[in-house]
Amino acid sequence: MVSNQYVIVVGCGRLGALLASRLSSLGSSVVVIDRQQAAFENLSTDFSGFRVAGDAAELDVLRQARIDRTQCLLAVTSYDNLNLMVAQVAQAVFGVRKVMARVNNPSREAVYREFGIETICPATLSAAAFLSALGSPGEAGQP
Amino acid sequence: MRYAAFLRRRYRAILGYTGLLCLIASLLILSPLALLVVYHQDLGLAWGFLVPGLALGLPSLVAWRRLTPRPAASLTMPEGAVIVVLTWLLTTVAGAVPFLFAGVGFTHALFESTSGWTTAGLSVLDVSQASPLLHFYRSVTQLAGGAGLAILMLSTLTGPLGPGLAVVEGREEQLLPHVRRSARLVLGMYAVYNVIGVLALRLAGMSWFDAVNHAFSALSTGGFSTRAQSIAYWQSPAVEAVIIVLMLLGMLNFLTAYTLLRRKFRAALRNSEVRQSAILLVLGTGVLLVGATGGLYATSGERLRVAVFSAVSALSTTGFGTVDLSRWNGLGWLVLILFMLIGGGAGSTAGGIKQVRIHVLAKGLVWEFRRRLLPRSAVTEPDVWQGEQRLFISDTQLRQVSMFVFLYVTVFAAGSGIIAAYGYPLQDSLFEFASALSTVGISVGITSPDAPAGVLWVEMLAMFLGRLEFFTIVIGLIKLCHDVPDMLAASLKSSARTAAGE
Amino acid sequence: MRVILLGGGETVETIYFLARLFVRRGYDVTIVDPNPAEAQTLSRRVKATVLVGDGSDPVVLEEAGARQADLVLSLTPQDPDNLVACQVAQKLYGVPRTLALVNDPENEEVFCKLGITEVFSSTKVIGSLIEGRTVFDEITHLFPADEGRRYVTEIVLDGDAPVIGQTLTEIQLPPESLVVAIIRDGHVVVPGGEDRLQVADRLIVIALPEYQERLLLALAGEEA
Repeated sequence: MVSNQYVIVVGCGRLGALLASRLSSLGSSVVVIDRQQAAFENLSTDFSGFRVAGDAAELDVLRQARIDRTQCLLAVTSYDNLNLMVAQVAQAVFGVRKVMARVNNPSREAVYREFGIETICPATLSAAAFLSALGSPGEAGQP
Repeated sequence: MRYAAFLRRRYRAILGYTGLLCLIASLLILSPLALLVVYHQDLGLAWGFLVPGLALGLPSLVAWRRLTPRPAASLTMPEGAVIVVLTWLLTTVAGAVPFLFAGVGFTHALFESTSGWTTAGLSVLDVSQASPLLHFYRSVTQLAGGAGLAILMLSTLTGPLGPGLAVVEGREEQLLPHVRRSARLVLGMYAVYNVIGVLALRLAGMSWFDAVNHAFSALSTGGFSTRAQSIAYWQSPAVEAVIIVLMLLGMLNFLTAYTLLRRKFRAALRNSEVRQSAILLVLGTGVLLVGATGGLYATSGERLRVAVFSAVSALSTTGFGTVDLSRWNGLGWLVLILFMLIGGGAGSTAGGIKQVRIHVLAKGLVWEFRRRLLPRSAVTEPDVWQGEQRLFISDTQLRQVSMFVFLYVTVFAAGSGIIAAYGYPLQDSLFEFASALSTVGISVGITSPDAPAGVLWVEMLAMFLGRLEFFTIVIGLIKLCHDVPDMLAASLKSSARTAAGE
Repeated sequence: MRVILLGGGETVETIYFLARLFVRRGYDVTIVDPNPAEAQTLSRRVKATVLVGDGSDPVVLEEAGARQADLVLSLTPQDPDNLVACQVAQKLYGVPRTLALVNDPENEEVFCKLGITEVFSSTKVIGSLIEGRTVFDEITHLFPADEGRRYVTEIVLDGDAPVIGQTLTEIQLPPESLVVAIIRDGHVVVPGGEDRLQVADRLIVIALPEYQERLLLALAGEEA
């Protein structure tokens, strides 16, 4: 699955920190990028990767995170356009094999699918999860 | 009640991981048995290794297999401290047994064991009488102690998650973005250092046995030697040169070494610790050459050799000696004491306060002056180069470093005072205690088989505190002191209740 | 021409002046500004349709008339916003011309690779303006050409110049450099292969910025 891979996670908010910590405990070499140093406090104690404080829109910051040897980049900041830009840069400029972007605005999500960027829209996923939980009335009542 | 149950669960995990670390230690204790193939005459000593190896190893194995949580748990920092403290206590006690079997008294055996695992290098053993097995054992303890048991554990696929345990044991540098990969890399580099060291020493004129032992001892910045006169035995510039190189390697932060390996030379040379060490060594050697060694040695070439070797040996906290220091003047002793206290790079096998902390303080001080000269509204921050990065020194860091150094100096003063109370001259007490606290190993004579037991115990405590950096030990012990009564009280209460028929 | 201007915050003044310029030229201008107060001020100052919203949001772009627009200028202070806005305009609404402001000069190349070829880097322009005004004795940077990708420089050959007496075919110029004209005794000479360079010749040269130093070294024998 993902172990032995070199992964960059852009954005260390709740989602980014969670992803980074899990990936690190599963054995991946993880580098987290965030503009704020304080954001790294969100990481769990199991996280054993590197932290880079900087703006991922700058190529230098990506290079500092060793994007040249990355197989997977996850752009999960709360700022859609940054995610999309970093994802495209990773793919087109650095040739990273697996790239995913978080896109909060569902209408933008559709557009970017066309570009070949794999996107995850938290709102859409959460809605689907709620709906499926509501979908079978018998299960909804379980603790 | 709930809390006691919670504690018991956590301590199962703690004891499980302690078991794993002690298992590794027990394997190391058993390792000299491999030499019996060559040195069959010492078969009688074999029990000295088998007994502690099995006595520590078997319960540890059981503890590890039965108590460790699956899947692996994450530990808090105080829990990690407890694990490290327990492991090191058990390891040093078990590690004393081989010496007991060789006929050494209890205090002395424990001293020798502590000095080995903490890579101090102070010795009360008569090395000329000791068996090769024992020599090898001492070198192995230093080899392992220098690296740390945590990274040995991390290199396997077992153990708790996260970098916590390694950090708590003093291995704070991380070379790669995953702690296990990083641990393996560090061990790999360490192994290569040792191979090169052994070959180089052999080429310089040592026998294979001596080369192996001294390579282990130099790279772990330990300082045990197979000869009573230490490196002076060989009187060889070639040997001394190789040892100097190995000591320098030993005090080099693994992260910096890795940067060099990746050919990022400019970044490595910009590194604060490297620069500071270079400046200190040049200055120190200069002062020693001019101020301390004048008139003591035949040629200026010899004076240079002695000055360089002593300076490197003290700063790297290795502890090899080539000359009798009692002939030196106060200035020479002062330089050596300061070097011993300053110590080597963080993230290396060396001890002492560590270069980076001194550098942070120095930079902080310069910045204090600068700040007062700049316009009031100017914004500046002091910075440090570590690895390939430029890091800014925050007030929090300055505070933490200042507190650590203050604690270190206080302990230094107290310990030296205790030694002096036994009647030794102040100069000697300061030197010897610095040597113990910074796990150096250079002795000016206080540490010997005839020393009072009190002195040896103070030194043992110092070596322990120095290797595990105060906070780990203190936090570990405080936590144990809180938790054990809590757990016991709860089980007493519950057995009282069952007895009362509730 | 129908133009959509996207921007706000630090770039709001630029938006205002551009809008005013375009309106005077008779263009149909729509502005999208995310800040309501700014948007209101803009709508009072200039005769353009002003929308409040995120210019990189496809829905907002559609409301701004992207389907009929001829030109979208994304001038927000954030490069990612400019990139996404132009990409959406191009790929979703087929806008024929898009121009993005790039704050970080390194991103110029990145944007081009991602399909936005018309980019404008203010940092670079200011930088080369400063350089262009620099005069060092015999060397004057005249102006940037080809959107800043090449420099046109005037070099006066003094007595120490190593190329005195050589023909143009003999001198070793760095790649993609060309001596475009020689001004001698007040006349402009179109350089031919046989012209020998003389003292006091003024050479007009066009070259890539990265070869500037080599060029100056080769021709004038000194570094700028």
